[in-house]
Amino acid sequence: MTYKVRLLGLLVFIGLAVSCSTDSYNTSDFIAGDAFTSSNIRVVLVDTMTVEVSTIKFDSINTGSSSRVLIGQYVDPIFGTVRSANYSGFLPNSYYISTDAKYDSIVLFLKYDGYYYNDTTKTNSIQVKRLIENFNPDEDDYFYNTSTVASNDEIIGTLSYSPRPQSTDSLQIKLSDNLGIEFFNNLQNKVITNTAEFTSKFKGLSIQPGNEDNGSVIGFEKSTSTFFMRLYYSTAEETDIVQSYTDISLNSTDSPNPFFNQISAENPISYLQELTNGEMSLSSSKSNNQSYIQSGTGYATTIELPYLKTIKNIGGQGTLLKAALKIKPVLGSYNDFLMLRDYLTVYQVDSNNDITQQLNATDGSALSALLNTANQEYNDVFYEISLTSYIENILTTDLNSNNTLLLIPENYSATVDRFILNGTNNTNYKTVLELTYAVYDENN
Amino acid sequence: MMKITRKRFLFITLFTLLLCQYSIAQSEALTSSPYSLYGLGIINQTSIGKSNALGYTGIARKTATEINNLNPANYALIPQNSFFYDIGVTGELNNYSNRAYNEKKANVNFSNLAFAFRISEGLGAGISMVPYSDVGYTLVGIQSNIEGSTETFESSVTGLGSLSDLKFNMGYSISNKIRFGLTASFLFGNIEENESFSLSTSSLSLTETTNYNGVRFGLGAQYDVNDKISIGSTVQLPTSLNASLDRSVTKIINSTTEIEVETNENDSASNFDLPLEFGFGLHANLTKSVAFSADYKKNFWDATNQSELAGTYADQDIFGFGFEYIKNKESFKFADRINYRLGYNYDNGYLKVNNQKVDGYNITAGIGLPVSLHSNSIINFSYSYGSKGRIDNVLIKENYHLFTLNMSLEDLWFRQRKIN
Repeated sequence: MTYKVRLLGLLVFIGLAVSCSTDSYNTSDFIAGDAFTSSNIRVVLVDTMTVEVSTIKFDSINTGSSSRVLIGQYVDPIFGTVRSANYSGFLPNSYYISTDAKYDSIVLFLKYDGYYYNDTTKTNSIQVKRLIENFNPDEDDYFYNTSTVASNDEIIGTLSYSPRPQSTDSLQIKLSDNLGIEFFNNLQNKVITNTAEFTSKFKGLSIQPGNEDNGSVIGFEKSTSTFFMRLYYSTAEETDIVQSYTDISLNSTDSPNPFFNQISAENPISYLQELTNGEMSLSSSKSNNQSYIQSGTGYATTIELPYLKTIKNIGGQGTLLKAALKIKPVLGSYNDFLMLRDYLTVYQVDSNNDITQQLNATDGSALSALLNTANQEYNDVFYEISLTSYIENILTTDLNSNNTLLLIPENYSATVDRFILNGTNNTNYKTVLELTYAVYDENN
Repeated sequence: MMKITRKRFLFITLFTLLLCQYSIAQSEALTSSPYSLYGLGIINQTSIGKSNALGYTGIARKTATEINNLNPANYALIPQNSFFYDIGVTGELNNYSNRAYNEKKANVNFSNLAFAFRISEGLGAGISMVPYSDVGYTLVGIQSNIEGSTETFESSVTGLGSLSDLKFNMGYSISNKIRFGLTASFLFGNIEENESFSLSTSSLSLTETTNYNGVRFGLGAQYDVNDKISIGSTVQLPTSLNASLDRSVTKIINSTTEIEVETNENDSASNFDLPLEFGFGLHANLTKSVAFSADYKKNFWDATNQSELAGTYADQDIFGFGFEYIKNKESFKFADRINYRLGYNYDNGYLKVNNQKVDGYNITAGIGLPVSLHSNSIINFSYSYGSKGRIDNVLIKENYHLFTLNMSLEDLWFRQRKIN
């Protein structure tokens, strides 16, 4: 009897000990109420920290490696006359033309790539000139928006057109037969038989918008298969005449490629004329409380956060949870023609305004200023940049580092997109840095 | 002698196991009460042996057949050659609610280990390990304002931990009627509290582990008025538990980047003061089969001047009484030797939340099953139904079922077996 009881007791004991708790202690839906307990953590939103917003202008933009042929001109209320012309060199696909062939014509092809800026309902014009100088890069091996190559005054081809940038068609510009016959004869008579002989005789073309144009800037494909001159000729066979052609395409063989877009903005508002070299900064407080960005011509907006260390004034021991910079485009400065883009890219620049690195998000993708149009109907449109990682890094490594951020659009060297942003003094529209900070210990 | 060795081996094994349980961070809570958020948690009432079924009373209970841990004076009565030990397990089923919510939790765990022995004529001693307090809570939806905005954040808090009381007791009989006792308690343990919340793509988790330790001394006395009636009293001296805090802060920014802001940073924490405590008890054998015990305890929390986020500590009164019925201790029939117990305990609470004391009561019942006729070993089961707090206002009401199992065993040492 006694042994049975003892055995039973032990079994119960072991059973209970092993089974232990059935519920995990940390799963709960119990809301105790604020009077029962409250948080030990303070969360503070700081949005009064001063942000410095300025405009800079890069001396030049590398448009030689640009991804498109950019041609057009329009007059901008802020930036003045915005103009892009293209300079390109060409090479024939073949150096053989049959001795029986007879010259027909020569036509320049330009294929829309979808890019446009400003009003495409206006008629644009194109004037083609022949270059008379070699493509000589400046000090380094690049061509810039400010580069130039001399051309003949004579216009060897012209076209007026209504842009259809979404079309898959190509523009066709008939060129002077003098040029066509020169190519034809040189090839047929084997005067030109290789690249060197061709480029020494033919430097290239300058493709310019009309001087009085006020329409749109249009993008065309930069490709040997869609950007070329087509030399047409025909050969008499026994019964009929057979037409054929030789393409003289964009020269992608020479290094550096003889190619660039010459982009300029003449007579901008007076503030922007003050920016005469790339190391200058124009504070938004001295430019109508605005800052400016324009692709292709080199205008860019910089943002400095000089007072980050004041976050420690909140007191106690804390840590950053979130940081977001909100910057608003100036109302009325954008419309369906002068459109905003969905995002801007963010770089870090040094004190000479030289780009040091592109900022990346935590997943390694490029960090962007994203356009928030959720409250567009209330005219509340802004770009938001998540700066949490960037500022976390500054707060935990070097509080005194004075890094400057640079905002520019994507394809900065291949577009003429422009943006007019609010600086820091407009009460309603000012640029704000929102820091969410958690204090987990009130004692320092 | 074989039997004794085996038992001692079992005992040592269990003791080691229990120590491990205490020293390695406890993964399971011994309680699941929202009230354990405050102070050192829920202060444990359960004791050793039969008192769990007697309304937690026993300051005056004079017993020479088991450990009475409520009064060190009683250690003087351990008979010659006897070695008592006690192993306990508790299980709790807690149901807590406020106006809007209701939740149930269950826990089972080891609760105590104790042994006692006689040193010389009229002098006995013992060591016990009992939980002093238990913490185990999870509360969600704690709303706070984000300063500088109209937004709020919502955090969850969890707490887990316990303090143990390693007690050295000694009792001495001055005469047949008067006994005195001394205790030295080593209180130690840690409480881990975590608060966490998320805010859009960020979240923060703050974990603070507070280690407490301290020594507390106590005195006890028992006086036998006559054969049937004894009175007793105890004093626990006030003490301050040293606290030190280890803090870890982890955050996630941009939804995926986890950053250790602080890892086990040591920080100061305020010490926790335990009050002066008085206890008075009465024990009476009403008939040959029925015993009665009543206790009153007063804990002077006011004087500790301590407060919590939501309340302050206030003087506490605890009343308890219990009855025990044994048909015939000496009977050869097992059924006659079974102990039946009933008790009641009222505690007006030591915490004032919103100027309202968190009071509670327990109704206890239990049986004791003797293991054999030849020893005082007994297996005690108790069940207690308790309620704490009120729903009115913002307080939480808890209803809980507490089960205890104590194996109160006696080993006879140095005694020649009669049959061998």
